[in-house]
Amino acid sequence: MIQLQNIRVTFNANTILENQALRGISLTVPERQFVTVIGSNGAGKSTLLGAVSGETPISAGRVEIDEVEVTRWPVHRRARYAARVFQNPLAGTCATLTIEENMALAYGRGKRRGWRLALSSGRRRLFQDRISILGLGLEDRLGDSIGLLSGGQRQAVSLVMATLSDSRLLLLDEHTAALDPRMAAFILELTNTVVEEFALTVLMVTHSMKDALACGDRTVMLHQGKIVLDVAGEERDKLDVPHLLEMFSRVRGEELADDSLLLG
Amino acid sequence: MSLFAFLGTLEIGLVYGLVALGVYLTFRVLDFPDLTVDGSFPMGGAVAATAIVAGVNPWLATAMAVLVGAICGLVTAFLAVRCGILHLLASILTMIAAFSINIRIMGRPNMALLGEPTIFTPFDNLGLDSLYSHLGVVFFLVLFSAFFVVRLLSSDFGLALRATGVNERMVAAQGGSIGFYTYFGLALSNGFVGFSGALFAQSNSFADVTSGVGTIVVGLAAVILGQTLIPGRRIWVAVVAVIAGSILYRLAVGFALSTGMFGMQASDLNLVTAVLVAIALIAPKMKGRIRLKAAKG
Repeated sequence: MIQLQNIRVTFNANTILENQALRGISLTVPERQFVTVIGSNGAGKSTLLGAVSGETPISAGRVEIDEVEVTRWPVHRRARYAARVFQNPLAGTCATLTIEENMALAYGRGKRRGWRLALSSGRRRLFQDRISILGLGLEDRLGDSIGLLSGGQRQAVSLVMATLSDSRLLLLDEHTAALDPRMAAFILELTNTVVEEFALTVLMVTHSMKDALACGDRTVMLHQGKIVLDVAGEERDKLDVPHLLEMFSRVRGEELADDSLLLG
Repeated sequence: MSLFAFLGTLEIGLVYGLVALGVYLTFRVLDFPDLTVDGSFPMGGAVAATAIVAGVNPWLATAMAVLVGAICGLVTAFLAVRCGILHLLASILTMIAAFSINIRIMGRPNMALLGEPTIFTPFDNLGLDSLYSHLGVVFFLVLFSAFFVVRLLSSDFGLALRATGVNERMVAAQGGSIGFYTYFGLALSNGFVGFSGALFAQSNSFADVTSGVGTIVVGLAAVILGQTLIPGRRIWVAVVAVIAGSILYRLAVGFALSTGMFGMQASDLNLVTAVLVAIALIAPKMKGRIRLKAAKG
């Protein structure tokens, strides 16, 4: 479960470049809910995810994960509670290590990393078993350097890696954006499978309105650092992309109207 | 090269193999260019020599040298991680400071260990020539250190250490503290270098503050030479390669100087080193280009 209370993030505060990326966002994601986050460029989607993962320092507000306050925790401490998949496939894996070494690294998330061998036959069997669900034939290539895989394959492995530790929260930062359409569809389908199988709570940032509505069970739209739309259940089921686009342009239109008043 | 000179070169090569291990850990594993070694090497020697002259057991004195070397690494890590100083600069600061501290430790710029007990003393009475016994002792210490490094880097902890040098963001996302691994890696690396300095001082019966000059270049030469000649992604291959690189480097230098080839003298050592490192760096690129040409042709 994630609880965000009145989160504010300001970049370059008190300078001419001041940018209020998040302006008091409150959001509660209950256990097992799959929330998709949409919004235009600069709306604060990734910043919101950064506030949860700890990568973005927040200027005000309170962050709770599983009812533990983590507001002041650094990224690596919060990692115990949340697995992440990044937009850039290169960011989520370690190119010079092998597939199994990357998986061992993810297996150790939230555990004490000690003197035990990172790769035992028991772990290899587990990794083989988990990676075989991808159907990419990677189970026979565990000893290959992960740098040899394509971006899509690496993203698929990242998703499997996210399930190797027993946290219940998954943070996805536009994790299909850098892939070709076919691979993106595959990764999205895989995401749904994984979320279902491991009963995960998900916060997924995407720039695709179609994906935002097709995946998960609640959609949040951000605009200029604020939540402008928050739909779930039946109301959301009735929504389609044109509707969403219309709502989106209405939000922006109102802002334009404000501007015209000002200018007029 | 006489057998006497050859065995001596082998021993020095092995002693500096520990420096190579340390440099491998920082340059290759952590991707942290660390010049602290120019200070922690003579500091290892200074601490060991001073402690031995003061009557401390040579093994304990060597352990103290390792510890002090590790502290040098921690200082560099503190400057880099906590104070945000550029890595290279942080290590240069520690290196410079170490020079003054080394003179303070010994009370003078150099110190003789002639007639003092060293870790080699008990092995001198085995009836073997001291050259062989010294070589044997150094060999086992280096073997033990190499095994330790290979085992460490194969562990859960070591895996995170290796990933830290490649993808910091990922390590943090997997729950590893970048700062912690940097502290640990630098301490371990400079611990090995301090160890090497202590062995060097005891094997040569003196400690000298200026013995640290160019330690980093020698270590780097060993790492680059070794990994160019013995390539391989496996950890144990890399560790064997850097130690072999250290020995090869010493042999190459010894050969070049002893034969009087091209009329060289001892003071040309730095030039020879620079040329060797440059060749080792260029060679892999040349190989790639030749292969590319062959593929086209």
